[in-house]
Amino acid sequence: MNSLNTVRRGAAAPTQVQPGPVFHLDHLTVNFPARKGVVPSPLQNLNLKIEAGRITTILGRSGCGKSTLLRALGGFIRPEDTGGVVYRQRFLTGPTPDIVMIFQENNLFPWLTVEGNVKFGLRFRQNDKRDQAQAVRDILASVDLKGAARQYPHELSGGMKQRTAIARALITRPAVLLLDEPFSALDISLKRHMHTLIRNLQEQTGTSMVMVTHDVEEAITVGDRVLVLGGDPAQILIDEDTISPGMRDRYSEEYLELQKKVENVIY
Amino acid sequence: MIVKAIGWERSGPWVLGTLSFTLLVVLWEAAGRTGLAFTTVAPPPSQFLSMVVDSGFRVGLGSQASSLDEAILSTFGRVFAGMALAFAGALLTGTLIGLSRYATWCISPFLYVLAPIAPIAWIPLAIVVFGISNVTAVFIVFMGVYFILTIGTLAEIRRVPEEYLTVSGNLGASKWQRWVYVILPAILPGVFTLLRTNFIAAWMAVLVAEMVGMRDGLGAIIMMGRNLFNNELIMFGMLVIGISGFLVDRVLAFIGQRILWWRV
Repeated sequence: MNSLNTVRRGAAAPTQVQPGPVFHLDHLTVNFPARKGVVPSPLQNLNLKIEAGRITTILGRSGCGKSTLLRALGGFIRPEDTGGVVYRQRFLTGPTPDIVMIFQENNLFPWLTVEGNVKFGLRFRQNDKRDQAQAVRDILASVDLKGAARQYPHELSGGMKQRTAIARALITRPAVLLLDEPFSALDISLKRHMHTLIRNLQEQTGTSMVMVTHDVEEAITVGDRVLVLGGDPAQILIDEDTISPGMRDRYSEEYLELQKKVENVIY
Repeated sequence: MIVKAIGWERSGPWVLGTLSFTLLVVLWEAAGRTGLAFTTVAPPPSQFLSMVVDSGFRVGLGSQASSLDEAILSTFGRVFAGMALAFAGALLTGTLIGLSRYATWCISPFLYVLAPIAPIAWIPLAIVVFGISNVTAVFIVFMGVYFILTIGTLAEIRRVPEEYLTVSGNLGASKWQRWVYVILPAILPGVFTLLRTNFIAAWMAVLVAEMVGMRDGLGAIIMMGRNLFNNELIMFGMLVIGISGFLVDRVLAFIGQRILWWRV
């Protein structure tokens, strides 16, 4: 692994969507360090390619390794040296500003306003202050939070919090956005609103997105590709292209057919 | 009328609190006047307050006498200086320990060995080293608060959500930037709450220091009353100590609620 080039912190973010896979899991094995030796995760020798410029959703029961997989994609955990995550033809050795992650909760700093939180995304990058203010205004408008700029996180609804987190992530123009069950705490109507929003943002920015969820509807209606992870060691049980517009309609035949197929495997 | 204007929920604590306190004063006064209590041991408010007014709010004898506001100010000055230093010291130690594990290994033994030593136990040593001066009093307050605050700071640092660290690292913050912009603001309210709860300890430490070492301050008033067999002075000193402590606690509570208001 040492002989390969590695992605370093501060690498220039690609502005154009490059064709081909953004991630290539090459014999990915993750074990967690324990007091004595290691505790194996379900991820053992996993191979997978994830295409750029699309939304890939990963479904699975709790404990199936989907969150671990997402953390490996972000470079937040170190896989075994026998393989790893190849990001843009290079082995990933740690977090990079190219790949930004959004969590289910605790995304926002409670002492900063919505505006302050979003600006935090640009704080450690070199850029013009005036451009910054404009960029913050633009991104807040795109997530429909213009009126809430001066509010603090505890004054926001769950949906507004997650929209702020998404805005902060996207203002850095990352190549990849990783979402770890970001809408699990929201009620169903807010959830569907967020699904439309995230699809629109993906189309506008071309960001590659990988979202982990346990919600079958969410996975199919948001994703361009749905993966179902299961078993120990984990395998890809279902791998479906869901790019067709019919998949956005919860009453269409192709949607219902896939939903049934997925639920049979998961439940 | 006031109750109606601002609502019982908000005015209730003040109204009832004042009433119960007034009731205590009235009972005390009545006990003194009817001869139920020894007025020489526990003189009622009318007695010790008139004594203080008569003496022109000056406490003590001859050249050692000082005015009451001087006594209050010197005690406040000592307690605030000690607490501010302990607060800064605890954050600094927390920073060192948080940023370097070598620092952790070096500092931890001192923390846990020195923490159980009561601040009062430092008084003899402090007087020898610093003499009878403000430095001694500030040092005693510092010793009474610093260790508990440092241990609390370390606990607060461990409580910072993992997500905050991941998010800031992800957005390009260096180790140092992460400390300044994320960990420090995340722990400040919690550490400040600890400071507030430890104010009582600091307050007691400075009073003890003033009783055994200093010649001025609120603690010295009590000691002077004792030496002069003047129970009115003792009662008055106790009352001033109680009210000043209460006011300081309110100020700290205000800062905690209005300035460092967020919860992590």
